[in-house]
Amino acid sequence: MPNLGLVFFPAFDWMLSPTHPERQERLLYTRDQLMEEGIFDLPQIREYRPRMASISDLERVHIGVPCISELITPAHLVSAGGCLTAADAVMKGEVKRAFALVRPPGHHAMRVVQGIRGFCTINIEAIMVEYLRAKYGVKKIAIVDTDVHHGDGSQDIFYHDPDTLYISFHQDGRTLYPGTGFPNEAGSPAALGMNINLPLLPGTGDEGIHRLFDGLIRPILDEFQPEIIVNSAGQDNHFSDPLASMSVTAQGYASLADKLKADIAVLEGGYSVEAALPYVNTGIILAMAGLDYSQVVEPDQSALRPQGFECNQRVDQLINQVGQLWNNREKLRTQALNKCGNRWQRDKSIYYDEEGIRETQRETAYYCNNCRGYLIIETSATNTRFGNQSAYVVILHKDTCSFCRKEALEQAARAKKSGRWDYVLIQDKAKSAVDNL
Amino acid sequence: MLLGIDVGGTFTDAVLINNGAIYALAKSQTTQEAVLHGILAALDLVLGSDKAENQSNITTLEASITRVVISSTIVTNSLMEGQTDEVFLAVMAGPGMSTKGQFPVEPYLAKGYIDHRGKISASEAIDYTRVAKMCAGKKMAAISGKFAVRNQVNERALSQDLKTFRFSKIFSGSELSGELNFVRRTNTAYFSGAVYTKYLQFIGQIKKSLAERNIQAPVYVLKADGGALPLEASLEQPVESIFTGPAASVLGIEAIAPPTIKAISLDIGGTTTDIAFWENGQPLMAKKGATIAGFNTSVHAFHMQSLGIGGDSAVKRTIEGFVVGPARAGKAMALGGSLPTLSDALITSGLVKFGDLALADKAMKTYVRGTETTMQVAREIVDAAVEKIEETIGHMLHQWSLQPVYTVDDIITGSLFRPELLIGVGGAAPGLVKVLGDRMCLPVEIPIGAMVANAIGAALAKPTLTATLRADTTENYYIIPEAGIKAKLPSGFNKYQATELLNAWLQKEASKWQITAQEAETVAYEEFSTIHDYYSSGKIIYLKMQLPPGILCRVAGREVSF
Repeated sequence: MPNLGLVFFPAFDWMLSPTHPERQERLLYTRDQLMEEGIFDLPQIREYRPRMASISDLERVHIGVPCISELITPAHLVSAGGCLTAADAVMKGEVKRAFALVRPPGHHAMRVVQGIRGFCTINIEAIMVEYLRAKYGVKKIAIVDTDVHHGDGSQDIFYHDPDTLYISFHQDGRTLYPGTGFPNEAGSPAALGMNINLPLLPGTGDEGIHRLFDGLIRPILDEFQPEIIVNSAGQDNHFSDPLASMSVTAQGYASLADKLKADIAVLEGGYSVEAALPYVNTGIILAMAGLDYSQVVEPDQSALRPQGFECNQRVDQLINQVGQLWNNREKLRTQALNKCGNRWQRDKSIYYDEEGIRETQRETAYYCNNCRGYLIIETSATNTRFGNQSAYVVILHKDTCSFCRKEALEQAARAKKSGRWDYVLIQDKAKSAVDNL
Repeated sequence: MLLGIDVGGTFTDAVLINNGAIYALAKSQTTQEAVLHGILAALDLVLGSDKAENQSNITTLEASITRVVISSTIVTNSLMEGQTDEVFLAVMAGPGMSTKGQFPVEPYLAKGYIDHRGKISASEAIDYTRVAKMCAGKKMAAISGKFAVRNQVNERALSQDLKTFRFSKIFSGSELSGELNFVRRTNTAYFSGAVYTKYLQFIGQIKKSLAERNIQAPVYVLKADGGALPLEASLEQPVESIFTGPAASVLGIEAIAPPTIKAISLDIGGTTTDIAFWENGQPLMAKKGATIAGFNTSVHAFHMQSLGIGGDSAVKRTIEGFVVGPARAGKAMALGGSLPTLSDALITSGLVKFGDLALADKAMKTYVRGTETTMQVAREIVDAAVEKIEETIGHMLHQWSLQPVYTVDDIITGSLFRPELLIGVGGAAPGLVKVLGDRMCLPVEIPIGAMVANAIGAALAKPTLTATLRADTTENYYIIPEAGIKAKLPSGFNKYQATELLNAWLQKEASKWQITAQEAETVAYEEFSTIHDYYSSGKIIYLKMQLPPGILCRVAGREVSF
């Protein structure tokens, strides 16, 4: 069996705008490097052609306003489909692990989608995670997000899910988009402790991220014992990335991939298209394929600065603080659940940088003793492609009991009757579909 | 008059074609140990048969031959298996994948490196003492640098450095192929060096033998991509020239009965079955280079596979059932052979009609167990062979579906290859392909007179040439590695200018080898805007063009028996 399944889809005909970081050229040099190295000839690597995801694959995760198909391009279906191809290859036992080296990316896309934010429209990892559950019955999944930006979309989608462990290390949100991702965002009461944010100081390099991995991420993964580990393999912690300020090298990324041994990796950000991506991707691919990556070194490291001493201090502080939170999670979860009773609510203000959309959300989780309950999201957004719009969204989990189901649908009917909302949408995960009431 | 000679595993065929019709043909036994003897025997036969048939004057006939094309898989084998030259291999791998075990020999690692944009990252003179030690006793050298196709300066400097060691020839990876894949280019350069001396001898003998027979026409060899290459030019790319693979077979089909719909052709000879895919009347080319002696090379080839099943294949009965091939049992028992073959099974099954039915039946009897009839045994043997062929086709279809997809458009419009027709040529084709067609639910076509399709294909092969151009307007240069050209860009460079430049070089190169000028076609084109700090800084243009493979003219088939 080959060690690695590789889905390579550089989307040479997709861009956000001609000079945008997400432009046709992004994976050109990576393609050149992989071709020149002869990566696609290696017996340890099996190449896969991406398929297109279906709208129903998307609607297991997303509720688009007014509907998801009006917000996406065909490229999104291919990049999400590429992740599903990678997942199938691993689950069918054709390869040991897989890497979906695809674009467009997805980790800033939240559950409710009004437009494009942080270059993302749909969350391709989340779509893959829900596919793994629906198709293969996988329960416990860990996502390790190694993109320099906080994956606020993935956090949003799995915030109430006790079976998905989301771990993200990133440049501190006080210094970088999207501005979130602090340790106190630890999950809603029912999933408290399962959302782990590790904000690092700008300038952190290989030493810092490996100290963090060895000291905290590895032990947490060992304890959680996920059936599948997913790596959101962003590459913008690289020292040459134009959008961020970290000091990680191709070696740092490759040896991290080697330690993590993710079952499935999915490309996220990384915009140093010439100086970083060709080398980081070669390094990750070789590491995942179990091959020697020690010679993968950027030819030009003149911009690489050693990390400051305060970087490791922050790492140690996180290991300590978040380690305690993780160890006490059961206790904290019980306390939080007791405190909030059968309902928990949060208000969110979401900015879509790509389109200047402002969205406000009130999200309410309804808890039940017999099932996972249900969610209601009240959303209104200004300046979308469809003008100002609002929606009342009911989310039914796969195991939502008939009592909760009835209650949730009654709420939806009342919302419809009130005439306050442009759309009343019901996402029924058992049917992988979103219906407009 | 065009002369084509094809050296197959069993027979060496020669054919003379005149004005789109077969003028004369001959078949002689392939001489595995000395290929040249078989070639000359076939040649003398075809010239002699003409004398008998047409009573013409032999001298005028030989003088009327305007072109000779030789095609052979066997030459590859005999050259590869025999004593090849030791080659000193020097590579500039730079940072990236480890070179361990990638090449046939442990290379000398030179320090130079070119990055993916063609910028020099490092260049350094060689370590003369180490090289002297490594190249002791070696006459041939091969050099190759990562991304040398983007900038050949380091390969040139290395070649210059190596001059001190007085190699008889130095092959440079980037001159043999302009395409990305350092490992494949390196192996191609290595094998070029390994076979050079033997190849030189081989073509020397061919030239001498033809001269002795008063044949003055230019001589070509057939390449794996179906192109005919002049003998002298072939010395610059010996691997391309000795590795013909089964290319002649598809050209033969193109000449006799090219399919107009998506089709799979099967050339079932005595020893092997050659399988190819067709679309729009053209055989499909493989996206990757050929594998030679277990190593990946950049040698262009058709998307073909050879399977060790043919009419003369030996048959074995194992616990799991019958196994056909890849060993040869020789002539069918029905034709006076001593061991049962696949042909005997086809004869007993009533799928083909030749030889002595009773003898074929006797062959089948050797396998009969209990109450089985010879008919049942024969059908089982045929089914085992067909099953294996079907499996290979399945594998080839899968390989084809893995061709890279770079754009959304590739996914949406790119259709997978779904065959609509099977074409069978070669001696054992009629029976086998019919059974295969039934299994795959596909119609079957057996063109008439396809018995010497390979030699016909060789005789009619068009010359081909391929070259690539890459321009980087930010760096203000373009490069045609095959030509060793790197030059400044004219202002306002665009697709039109790129095409003009590359076409001009191809035409010049063609005339140098007296190749009849023909339209060059674009095989691949890419254009990307490069951005620096949110501003467009230039363009990267990549263009690949070729004088396409194909046949000079079609011929009418002719029933023949030997």
